[in-house]
Amino acid sequence: MKEAEDKSLRPQLCLTNFPFPQILIPPQLPLFPLLRRTILRMTYATALATMLAMPILAPILSAQTNQPSGTAQTPGRAAATTPPLSHDLSGVWMQYPDGDVPGVPGMNAVSNKTRPPLTPWGQAKFDAAKPLVGPRAVPGVENNPELRCEPDGPPKLLNLPNPFEIVQIPGRVLMFFELGHIWREIWTDGRPLPKDPDPTYLGYSVGKWEGDTFVVDTIGFNDKLWDDSYGDPRSDATHLTERYRRLNHDTLELQIIIDDPKAYTKAWVSPPKLHKLEPAWEIAEWFCVLDEDKAYDEVVRKPAGLAPAANK
Amino acid sequence: MKDAMEKASRMCLRMMVPLALLGAILLFTPILSSQTGKQPEAPKPGDTSAPLSHDLSGVWMQYPDGPAPGVPGMNAIDERFRPPFTPWGQARFDAARPMQGPTAVAGRENAPTLHCDPDGPPRVLNLPNPFEIIQIPGRVLMFFELGHVWRTIWTDGRALPKDPDPTWLGYSVGKWEGDTFVVDTIGFNDKLWVDVYGSPRSDQMHLTERYRRLNHDTLEMQITMDDPKAYRGIWVNPPKLHKLEPTWEIAEWFCVIEEENAYSDSIRKPAGGISTAPK
Repeated sequence: MKEAEDKSLRPQLCLTNFPFPQILIPPQLPLFPLLRRTILRMTYATALATMLAMPILAPILSAQTNQPSGTAQTPGRAAATTPPLSHDLSGVWMQYPDGDVPGVPGMNAVSNKTRPPLTPWGQAKFDAAKPLVGPRAVPGVENNPELRCEPDGPPKLLNLPNPFEIVQIPGRVLMFFELGHIWREIWTDGRPLPKDPDPTYLGYSVGKWEGDTFVVDTIGFNDKLWDDSYGDPRSDATHLTERYRRLNHDTLELQIIIDDPKAYTKAWVSPPKLHKLEPAWEIAEWFCVLDEDKAYDEVVRKPAGLAPAANK
Repeated sequence: MKDAMEKASRMCLRMMVPLALLGAILLFTPILSSQTGKQPEAPKPGDTSAPLSHDLSGVWMQYPDGPAPGVPGMNAIDERFRPPFTPWGQARFDAARPMQGPTAVAGRENAPTLHCDPDGPPRVLNLPNPFEIIQIPGRVLMFFELGHVWRTIWTDGRALPKDPDPTWLGYSVGKWEGDTFVVDTIGFNDKLWVDVYGSPRSDQMHLTERYRRLNHDTLEMQITMDDPKAYRGIWVNPPKLHKLEPTWEIAEWFCVIEEENAYSDSIRKPAGGISTAPK
């Protein structure tokens, strides 16, 4: 209950900070989609501007009135009652952009703060990674996979505050990510994980309900991607677990657990991350395109003293 | 099997050599089909007695027969029906350096696929690669193995947008006209070709796809392109048949620039026909 009350602060933090993640977001993203999306988000934030006083007034308001429609219901309210949670995860979801530090936006569905120690293999991979962001970022030598427009995949795909849509059909749950226009499928027809899958960017995923939690297990990754923006490696031994709970109509909780004994000395358990239903949003087309990435280098990254045109 | 299919598709796309093998296989197809009975029920164009299914769901694979009988080809978009170019279209076509066809020049190719540009309609429909159709309320979703591309076709009655931002996939709406599912798409960018031969796609393109499920195992698709900026006339292709593949699942097949370059170094260049990919 105490935990739920803490989480209830997040929707308000989200509103006050809404535009900022788009501005602070690391510049590994193509120019034109970024600009377009920033404008979109700013517009949306402007529409919500009348709610900016909410964090201040929230205690008063919540004591006096119901939350206005469009504002996320608090998880605490759902926890106060005992009906089972919905097993329908459909909809467009957007991660609340609050990060590790309260009130400061961050991208931490995969939380750097809970990362276990690296194995020697993991350490070597980590040392070779030259991220665009974080304490180890060195301008001019960045080698993020997205700089080459490599396909993105879990768990990094789930890490960043970008919208995704879930569609449930018989035997499958489909996820559509705006980032990179990626789709993945999670098999729910009862099949087991494959014994020896070919390594892929997305891996092979099966899902099942455990009570009110939709549990997704994924194996069969290649080792070409990072788990986050900081260069933490993803090996082909990764067993990824995602745990989804629809806390209430407007709120989806996602917890990411990375069990990768080749790269980390123990399982990496990230704290749950909340997502808000966005019923009016549709997933836009946002591909990574090398030419646009090069243009972004010239117009934004280089003048800012950041990355050069990466390995292309 | 999926993996084998993926590799087969890949080779088919990138090299003409395997097509010769396919051609040989096709020569024996009549014999095989008469023996095994596995050939899907032949469509009967004149048979209009029963309404056709409005369920297009499933994994579909284009029949690989081409313009010449018995010769495989990639002709959901058929060059033989291409209208004359406008000056803009001609300039674009002249600037295109395809990997195949009469205008291919080894060492100078600039096909968008060589730098892993996202693929889009109509070209993503042109090649013999599997795709899956899923129908959900208000939408028809298409999943292409080629490039792991997915697209949305809105069927909730919305109109085409007035002034859409140009995109790789365009903006698509679909509706049923009798037993034909008609998809209209506008809002394309002009960075892709409509085929493998460099025929251009402008931002004025209005693409129409007409789907009919002729029987349980057979999907017919006809592609019509109205692109007044590039072509002096409407490009109407003959219908193309697709076979239901009930046991297939769409595999992961991304275009990855490093793999493209490695493929150029190990396969294309030794074969003498293909340059290093532009990076």
